[in-house]
Amino acid sequence: MHERRKTLALAAAGASAMMVLTACSGGGSGPAEGDREITWVINSLPAAWASISGAGGSVYTVQMLSGVVPHTGVFQPDGSYEYDLDILAEEPVVINDDLDEGPFQYSFTLAEDAVWSDGTPMTGEDLRVTAMMYASPDEGYCTTCDSRGTTNADMIDTMEVDGKTITITLEEGLSDPEWMSLFDSTSAGGGFYPSHLAEENGWDVDDPDQLGEFFTWLHEARTEWSGGPWMIVEGDLENQVVKEPNPEWWGDPVQLDRIIMPFNTDEGTFVNAFNNGEFDGANPAQFSTDVVTQLEGAPNATVTIGEGNIWEHIDFNTENEWLQDVELRRAIFTAIDRDDIASRTYGEAYPEYELKNNHMFGSDSEYYVDHITPSGQGSGDTDAALEILEEAGYELDGDTLMLDGEQVGPFRLRTTDTVIRNNSVQLIQAHLAEIGVETTIEMTDNLGEMLGGQDYDIVEFGWSGFPYFTSNPEQFWHSESGSNFGGLSNEEIDELAEATGSAPNRDEAAEYANQAMEILVEEAYVLPLLADPQYFFVNDRVTNIEDNLNTSLRATYNIGEWALAE
Amino acid sequence: MSENRAPDTVRKTAADGVGGVERTQLQMITRRFLRHRPAMISLALLIVIVLFAFVGPYLWTWDHLVHREVPPSVPPNADHPLGTTTAGNDVLGQLMRGAQQTLKVAFTVSVLGTVVGSLWGATAGYYGGRVDSLMMRVVDVFMIVPLLVMVAAIAGSVRGGTTWWAVALIIAAFSWAQIARVVRGVVLSLREQEFVEAARAAGASPGWIIVRHLLPNAAGPIIVAATLLVAVAILLEAGMSFLSFGIQLPDISLGQMIGDARTAASTRPWLFYPPGVLLVIICLTINFIGDGLRDALDPRQTMERR
Amino acid sequence: MLVYTVRRVLGAIPVLLLASVLTFVLIDLSGDPLADLRVMQPPPDPEVIQLQSERLYLDRSMPERYWLWMTGVGGNGDIGLLQGKFGPSTQSATYDIGANIAERLGVTLRLVGAAMVFALGLAILTGVVSAMRQYSKLDYTLTFVGFLALAMPTFWFAGIVQQAGVSFNELVGTQFFATVGDGTYQAQGLSPWGRFTNALAYMTLPTIVLMLTSFASWSRYQRTSMLEVLNSDYVRLARAKGLPNRVVVRRHALRTALIPLTTVVAVGMAAIIDGTVLTERVFQWRGLGEFFIQAVTANDSFALMAWLMLSGTTVILANLIADLLYGVLDPRIRYE
Repeated sequence: MHERRKTLALAAAGASAMMVLTACSGGGSGPAEGDREITWVINSLPAAWASISGAGGSVYTVQMLSGVVPHTGVFQPDGSYEYDLDILAEEPVVINDDLDEGPFQYSFTLAEDAVWSDGTPMTGEDLRVTAMMYASPDEGYCTTCDSRGTTNADMIDTMEVDGKTITITLEEGLSDPEWMSLFDSTSAGGGFYPSHLAEENGWDVDDPDQLGEFFTWLHEARTEWSGGPWMIVEGDLENQVVKEPNPEWWGDPVQLDRIIMPFNTDEGTFVNAFNNGEFDGANPAQFSTDVVTQLEGAPNATVTIGEGNIWEHIDFNTENEWLQDVELRRAIFTAIDRDDIASRTYGEAYPEYELKNNHMFGSDSEYYVDHITPSGQGSGDTDAALEILEEAGYELDGDTLMLDGEQVGPFRLRTTDTVIRNNSVQLIQAHLAEIGVETTIEMTDNLGEMLGGQDYDIVEFGWSGFPYFTSNPEQFWHSESGSNFGGLSNEEIDELAEATGSAPNRDEAAEYANQAMEILVEEAYVLPLLADPQYFFVNDRVTNIEDNLNTSLRATYNIGEWALAE
Repeated sequence: MSENRAPDTVRKTAADGVGGVERTQLQMITRRFLRHRPAMISLALLIVIVLFAFVGPYLWTWDHLVHREVPPSVPPNADHPLGTTTAGNDVLGQLMRGAQQTLKVAFTVSVLGTVVGSLWGATAGYYGGRVDSLMMRVVDVFMIVPLLVMVAAIAGSVRGGTTWWAVALIIAAFSWAQIARVVRGVVLSLREQEFVEAARAAGASPGWIIVRHLLPNAAGPIIVAATLLVAVAILLEAGMSFLSFGIQLPDISLGQMIGDARTAASTRPWLFYPPGVLLVIICLTINFIGDGLRDALDPRQTMERR
Repeated sequence: MLVYTVRRVLGAIPVLLLASVLTFVLIDLSGDPLADLRVMQPPPDPEVIQLQSERLYLDRSMPERYWLWMTGVGGNGDIGLLQGKFGPSTQSATYDIGANIAERLGVTLRLVGAAMVFALGLAILTGVVSAMRQYSKLDYTLTFVGFLALAMPTFWFAGIVQQAGVSFNELVGTQFFATVGDGTYQAQGLSPWGRFTNALAYMTLPTIVLMLTSFASWSRYQRTSMLEVLNSDYVRLARAKGLPNRVVVRRHALRTALIPLTTVVAVGMAAIIDGTVLTERVFQWRGLGEFFIQAVTANDSFALMAWLMLSGTTVILANLIADLLYGVLDPRIRYE
């Protein structure tokens, strides 16, 4: 069996190469006639075999584990949310969201026929142990679990398991508008994990130290278990993983015999390798105009582009002596021409680009409100900007903006060294020169240190905004948050941010978030530019495949349905 | 060796003996160099490129920066003979600036690296023994720290990014060691030769022997190494840019332009070819000039030519 | 000779020590291993950061860390160069730097070995031919080709080579040349001949790229030193005595002319190591070059230090061998 699989894997090299090789090898086990195989590139190295930990978890780990780690739901390409009813017996329910009645409570019930690849049934215990690993160490479940997403799990007070069902009760006074994300594809681990393997290895999951060992084991040992349509049969974290159908999968059978996922860290190699038939497609992390253009020109490729989840924005350091003045901040934002930046960075390969006018919600979201356009910020209206400045007592002396006889600035305009950001800051420099504000561009290769040390006056960087949003305002704008780098302090925003995080449901949370953004725009603290477009390309021989920009899984979100054209 | 010279070139006066010999030697070298056609063509070409890089920016409308007036990503036309970039840089303006920065880096590296390396290597080779051992250990230490990491470390902690001279200093600081190694090897085998022993016997100081006898006799390898160092510096700068450790934007170098346009060969050739071709031409001309210099400088190959 | 060898080997120890200090200080100053963790969204628990910083020994002072790194005394048993342990990695708690290097060494050696053998062979051949036919058309052509090779940025040339490979495939109608990966996966279960063609398909292009720079510079040195020897008195004497040209070149000239090349090749090790970083990236081989880039990206101090010490030791060894070869090849050099 093993031997044969290896031989079959050769089909990746393509039909004609097969003929050359098998002709030369004289006999062997023959070409892998009719083997349905896809080679799907992952654009970086996954650092671990599970994506829960901060060090190991990345979108690449999540993509590598697609079709392997079972999850309870995923956002669809159109933005709607769908529960996975292969995994779940029914849509999960909120038992109580009225905090006056009692604590916030919800439950999940797994499907009756849901089993792991070794035949062991999936139970509520798997969910319980997973939630324990997602929580931060000070919750007391696990001493060494460094989960990268603790928000939902840390609110949990008690978990009750009854066979396939888990009932979760939050701590008194807390509500979780995004409770359904606890075990879905956006969770830290991208789903939930098989707790019976802890027992098999001799670890007691209720012992914090031993749960830590299980957590480490999950990240360290090659994922040989599966709870989805595919299972990993071969591979490592450097070169590739090979997936074959999970024989115990109870849902619709997969349409392929094998999926090979090589890791490729260099987008510059994509065009040649794709044209050479070395792989079928990818979700590149970067966006290079020339690569996109060439792939669009390839006769056998389908390319789609859409707004990704990373969005670029410009922030002020409000502790700079000049930038403490909100009028100056408003004038600078007004002078920045966002459309100019967008068209000169992405416009060529993606003329349909969209400026971002809401810090949280995309224009297709039901919660979308345009906060930016009415404010005039980001319009590049130099005259309006100068008017604001004049009213605030600034004056233009030749080409230099002055206040009380002193030059305003110069400001240090910083960002990381990517093509897009390079271009943006050069354009911003040109825009600000028109209102007499001098900037010096300084690149950094250590964004974290620069932001954390508040080592900038004006900065451009990116934030990721997934469909889940309720914890973001508090993180980005609350005066006590470690990620509020520019030092904004506004009591109203603090209150609204807190309210967003503890609202009983998403609708109410969105309302608070929008109110916070309204004030934020008045403060002229963060100017959103646009969501970086992301592209996807695939060989036309693959069907039932499409990009999904609403999840880290990207196109692999429906990997169980991929097929080859007849 | 002076017997080899043609009698008509020896025009010395009693007062200016050494100087006279020197001038004639220089004349011969010059003449040999002038006869080296590839080197002469290269020199002419390089001068044109240097003018293009250093004088060009004063004559041309656009500099290397982004301007709102420059239309984004247009192919070559009358206003922009080499087209423009996505953001709106004039490629010709970028090319001038890029060549300028690249040349500044390369020549600085070559001069610094060669001077330091030759003296160091020759001294070590001349003294031998403990001194050699000690000096070469220092060389070893310098050579085992790979350049790329050094630059990453330094470029990351220098506030405000890396300027051309910082890049040059960093490359030079770690590339002199290679020249020292080569020169020391040559000197090791030279120091046992008669003319060195003769000089020593005549009471010449070690410094004199190194500068007057050893280094000139090692001129061939030194010139070859120095020439290669220019090309190496240019290519290292390019490699650094590729890994994004080079000169930081908005300043630009040829390496950076090549790195940025790496995938543009078939889609926007005006971005891909000019910096690459210019860089290759610069390296080529420099290598040919070095080759010509080598042939001209090496006194041992004056007579015989088959 | 033996005494000299022993002395040189002993002499390498202080060099390595000095290098280790330099490496440690530079890397330690150059970045915060937890930078990525600190800016994560949402921000990780302070306790997580605390745990990580303890795991990576960032809670100790710099001299203490250096001591730990060298000896491992007082650590958690995962550190200490002298015990053959390279320290914890930022990439994950279980990422074993030593095991990873060992695993990747084979990948890189395969590439470097092939590139060096071909580069050296070709360099000697073209260098000698060029020198013997100085100023001929052939010499000019070879010189030009060599210079052209020296003039091309590695990653630029790699792109062209990949493109050429793809074009060849299209022209012949096969998918013979591969442009990404090292082909280990594809080689599984093949017959010996199949393995050979598979290796050819995956190794040809990157080998050409990696050997380019070395070949060109070695060839230049070979030509130079060959010319010098051909013009030296003893070769002239040998010729004057009526020895056939062939014998003069083979027995006298070539041997002497190879001497400088030993140093040049040893020195070239560092350049090749640089070259592997770029080549492995462009061809997506998971060797030590990619290990380095990964370590830089992840601010993985201990991995970087391990990498530097390894490359340092390699270069030191190469130089030592070159020095010893000098003595063997050139009777004029005496080591006392």
